[in-house]
Amino acid sequence: MKVKVVSRILEANERIALENRRLFDKAGVYVINLMSGPGAGKTSLLEKTLSLNTELKIGVIEGDIAGSDDAERIERLGAPVVQINTGGACHLDANMIYEVLHDLPLQDLDLLVIENVGNLVCPAEFKVGEDIKVMVLSIAEGHDKPLKYPLMFRESAALILNKIDLAPYLDVDMHKIKKDALSLNPNLKIFEISCKTGEGLPAWTEWLRTKARKS
Amino acid sequence: MHELSIAQNIIEIISEQCSKSGYAQIDSVNIRIGRASGVMPDALLFAFDAIKVDTMARDAALHIEEVPVTGLCRDCESSFIVEEEYILFCPHCKGNSFHITAGREMDILDMEVS
Repeated sequence: MKVKVVSRILEANERIALENRRLFDKAGVYVINLMSGPGAGKTSLLEKTLSLNTELKIGVIEGDIAGSDDAERIERLGAPVVQINTGGACHLDANMIYEVLHDLPLQDLDLLVIENVGNLVCPAEFKVGEDIKVMVLSIAEGHDKPLKYPLMFRESAALILNKIDLAPYLDVDMHKIKKDALSLNPNLKIFEISCKTGEGLPAWTEWLRTKARKS
Repeated sequence: MHELSIAQNIIEIISEQCSKSGYAQIDSVNIRIGRASGVMPDALLFAFDAIKVDTMARDAALHIEEVPVTGLCRDCESSFIVEEEYILFCPHCKGNSFHITAGREMDILDMEVS
């Protein structure tokens, strides 16, 4: 007996993501899903952003396979933070976010950053209820990354190219990274920064402020 | 990489549908996976077979139809299919003003139950 199913495989996740989004909108908080491969500098970027920010109330959800190092780094800067341990899963999904929402003072926040598990592939596939996705690529990862991992570049609203202070020591073609990323996603906003030297960070924090204020 | 959770989702959806339809066993299921979805068919088949034991789908065969990446150019209005998992420019006019019309699918189509 043949039975029609006609269902999106990730339908359940998308339903919960919509519910998260409804709660975020109700609280008036702008939400960013921050993604990158391991070690690109997501937590460093957040630390710098929190230190430079004087206006926005920013909360953070940290997603990692194990450990709470990242949440401790954020907590030291006085921001409300929740750590999720996925226990092996390679990405955060909408339900993991839903379950920790009551641990955050959503009503008091202007911006919530969800730092995804370090992984250049899977996080791009699972909506968590965010307004936009932002990705970090450290230039030390190489200029072949946009074409090897096209989905994340295509899904992101902004690309942060981190560790540009290392450029003199690397054989990396920054122009190729930007050209390929823009070919995959012509609307991508690109920031070239160094969390170590602070270069380029003001443009990023200003953009973030404008985005969060609009919501 | 997340083929295991995709396989879990598939088994949950088809088991629910199978019970609703009043049947006890799933013999086969047809799904459609876009080439730009980030899902590897071989890894998905492996994951599905590994977790179907002890479910209504324990004897089910998973059939995957792969959907190539298709684009439509806004400049020259041609539509095209590419071999890669991504499109960088329109193969006809070389412009980069296109949108992707297919290739991101992750759908369950139908199944055989008994």
